[in-house]
Amino acid sequence: MRGISKQPSIIDRSAFSHILLSSAILFNKMIQLKNLVPVPLKEKFQVRKSSIWNTEVTFNKGEWIKIKAPSGTGKTTLIHSLYKLRTDYEGSVSYNDKNILEVQDDALASLRQQNISIIFQDLRLFANLTARENIELNRVLQAPYYESAMIEQMADTLQITHILNQRTGLCSYGEQQRIAIVRALMQPFEWLFMDEPFSHLDMDNSERAARLIAQECRKRNAGFILTDLDEDTHFSYTRNLTL
Amino acid sequence: MNLSLLLKKLIKTSAGRSRFILAILGLSVALFLILAAVQIQANYDDLLHNKTNQDSIANFLVINKVITSETIGQTALTENQISDVKKQPFVQALGVLTSSRFKVSAQGASNQLPFYTDLFFESVPDDFLDVNNKDWAWNDQSTFIPLIIPNSFLDMYNFGFASSQGLPKLSQDLVRNIPLQINIQSANGPVKYYAKVVGFSDRIASILVPQSFMDWANSKFGTEPPASPSRIVIRTKDPGNPELLNYLKEHGLTTDADKTRFSKYRQIVNIVVNISWITGAVMLLFALLIFTLFIQLTIASCKDEIALLITLGAAPKQLKTFLIKQFFPPNIIIVFVTLAIIALLQFWVKHWLSGEHIYVSGFISITTIISAALIMLVLWIVNFVTIKKYINKH
Repeated sequence: MRGISKQPSIIDRSAFSHILLSSAILFNKMIQLKNLVPVPLKEKFQVRKSSIWNTEVTFNKGEWIKIKAPSGTGKTTLIHSLYKLRTDYEGSVSYNDKNILEVQDDALASLRQQNISIIFQDLRLFANLTARENIELNRVLQAPYYESAMIEQMADTLQITHILNQRTGLCSYGEQQRIAIVRALMQPFEWLFMDEPFSHLDMDNSERAARLIAQECRKRNAGFILTDLDEDTHFSYTRNLTL
Repeated sequence: MNLSLLLKKLIKTSAGRSRFILAILGLSVALFLILAAVQIQANYDDLLHNKTNQDSIANFLVINKVITSETIGQTALTENQISDVKKQPFVQALGVLTSSRFKVSAQGASNQLPFYTDLFFESVPDDFLDVNNKDWAWNDQSTFIPLIIPNSFLDMYNFGFASSQGLPKLSQDLVRNIPLQINIQSANGPVKYYAKVVGFSDRIASILVPQSFMDWANSKFGTEPPASPSRIVIRTKDPGNPELLNYLKEHGLTTDADKTRFSKYRQIVNIVVNISWITGAVMLLFALLIFTLFIQLTIASCKDEIALLITLGAAPKQLKTFLIKQFFPPNIIIVFVTLAIIALLQFWVKHWLSGEHIYVSGFISITTIISAALIMLVLWIVNFVTIKKYINKH
């Protein structure tokens, strides 16, 4: 069953991505990095070549991008810079030609509510809230994209239904990671940033999560940027980059 | 589950519960003192200007020099003195009492009412009279001279003189119908006129004739040169004004003490009102300070949660709205409860005072309500500014 349902979806997606790519160019909905280099890594990347740091890169709308890099090369720094969690870099990050440094307060909140979703490497759940409450919070932060029944559905897919009413502080890392994934998928987005999203999951769970993520991205015509240490075949990436 | 319920779980306002209760209590007392001060002032103003309470004497004062053994024979007011009185801020209008400069007597015009008395006349401009009467006019064609006598005069007769002498009591109507004969001494002997009482005054304790008659008679029969007036009448907004009293005292002037009886009350009211609102204002200030600290403490104790909420995409605006909803409603409740208590007290005061024949409104004044609204606005601004300041820090 799984194999059958998986196959057409990939065909589907590539056909889609073609259309999306052209529309992305048309509407210019993209992320542009210009000579971006984090201050702490500056010296390192003046000598070493990277396909992201200290060069010009454009991520077009709907692209599924994998960034593979060893530890300490700035995966998390990149994700945080794209999400405007840190600004200690040189160069610029722009969304649709607008420098993210100019996006502030309520506008930044709107960007995070409507356009960008994120799965943090360190998960960042509220330990005192239950799994369901953590997910629900991101659902109702903006006009809900999904009915709350969707929480059960996704939890079921990722096999975390039994911990929905448990405080996340008491959950294992694997469970917390799946909660963080469901939380990220509860909101509307054009881009999904994932920082080692399967680091605490076994193969089976990773597969299930990847399938859910792919399905949700397709539904929204959304692109993603995923960072990881190793090669993987979870998604059919449109681009593979290294830091 | 809605957002504010989730936020409530994250941003606990229980961190400084005891401080919060303290602030609430302080604020309640402060509000009570301030609003009570406003209400007392409103009641007092009401008493001064309300029609039911304002008898006709209240706003008109007849002023003359204090008569002591030193001032006998020097009771005339100079022009300077009069113009100085006129300049005072509490004097709205000033009229001079003109006295007759001829000898005059009155007697019953018929034999049914035999009496005789020596008399004097005075006059004031009509604006200062509390008698509105079509008969109150005189020209040289008039068949009688209209007179206004003090109400107290009739009271004195009815309740003092008539009772002790076994004479009949006279009503105002009856007195109006008694024909009087007036004899004015002239160089060629007495001249007879007829006179009628046309009104009774509470305001000026004198026997009044129209100014036109006085001017005419003084020029015709006057035996003495025109003298400076010794009495003046002023119209004032507030006869209880302590400034007025001080002025009179300083210049050796006096007036009917009864008319200025409000002055003492007023001083007491002023002291009570001032103490009340100053104490209230100081307490309000401290209560606001505690509130501010409480908000600051709450936000500081949840700074990790707030930071993560912002990271996840919560808008500062959403958080501010949530926090205002957490902190502000108690303020609204306090304001309304305080207003309700004052309204109850006012109702009780009305009943208590009406027993003393003092009539105040049974409802709180609009000024009190406006003050409450203003304080609420101040509370909102303080809440909002504090929340904004500390949310923007994160």
